[in-house]
Amino acid sequence: MNRLQHIRGHIVSTDKYMNMAATLPSPLTTHVLNIAQGVPGANMTIILYLLDPISSVWNLLTTGITNDDGRCPGLIQKESFIAGVYKLRFETGKYWDAMGMTCFYPYVEVVFTITDPSQKYHVPLILSRFSYSTYRGS
Amino acid sequence: MGSVKGPLTTHVLNTGDGVPAARMALSLHRLDPRMTVWSLVTVGNTNEDGRCPGLITSDAFTPGMYKIRFETGQYWESLGQSSFYPYVEIVFTVSAADQSLHVPLLVSRYSYSTYRGS
Repeated sequence: MNRLQHIRGHIVSTDKYMNMAATLPSPLTTHVLNIAQGVPGANMTIILYLLDPISSVWNLLTTGITNDDGRCPGLIQKESFIAGVYKLRFETGKYWDAMGMTCFYPYVEVVFTITDPSQKYHVPLILSRFSYSTYRGS
Repeated sequence: MGSVKGPLTTHVLNTGDGVPAARMALSLHRLDPRMTVWSLVTVGNTNEDGRCPGLITSDAFTPGMYKIRFETGQYWESLGQSSFYPYVEIVFTVSAADQSLHVPLLVSRYSYSTYRGS
C-alpha cells in the first residue's frame, strides 16, 4: 500500500468512528432466530408501535427488515424512547411464505410495557413454523 | 355424562412458579375476512388446572384466522407482581383439515412461549 492509501485509510476510519459516536445504539433491540432451520431469521419485516394512552391508538414508530444476522438495528432513538406500552409486530407468515412454507402464525405481535426508558430492552423472537417464544433480555 | 373435547383447547402454565395459571381471563376472537375486524367468540377464565374447556363448538370452528387473548397482566397483578407483558395475543390460522388444535401458553413475568399441539 502506498503512503496516500495508508493516510486515506486513517481519515476514513476516523470518520466512521465519529459517525458511530453520533448515532447511539437503540435502547430497544430485537433478534429473530429460526430454530427450525438453525439460522437467524433474516429478511423479516418488523414494525414497532407505541400506544397512545389517551386515544388507545397504536402509533407506528419504525418499519424495518432484519439483516442477515436476524437483527434490526436502529429501532428507536434514545431521545424518543419514553415510558409506555409498545408493540413489536413480526411478519412471520410472509417470512415462511418467502421460503415456500406455511406457518401457523400469520404474524406475531409482542406487546410490552416500558417503565424505565433508561434501561436497555431486548425483545427477541425464537421461531419455528409451529411455535414461538420471547423473553425480556437487556 | 361424558364430554367430548372441543376442537380448540388451550392450557396456561405459570413457568415462573411451576403451577397451572388458574383463573386467568382469556377471550377467543375470529377475524371476519370481509371486514377485517375481530369478532368476539368466547370469553372465559382458566380453571384450577389452567385449562378453559368449551372455547368453541365444532360447528362454529370454521377455517379462518383466530386469536386468543390472554389477560396475563391482570393475572400477575392478582398475584401482586408486575409483568413485562400487559397481555398476550396469539394469532393463528385454522385450515379445514384442523380437527383438534391445542394452543397452550407457557408464561412467566418476563417470557412466554406457545406451540401448536393437537
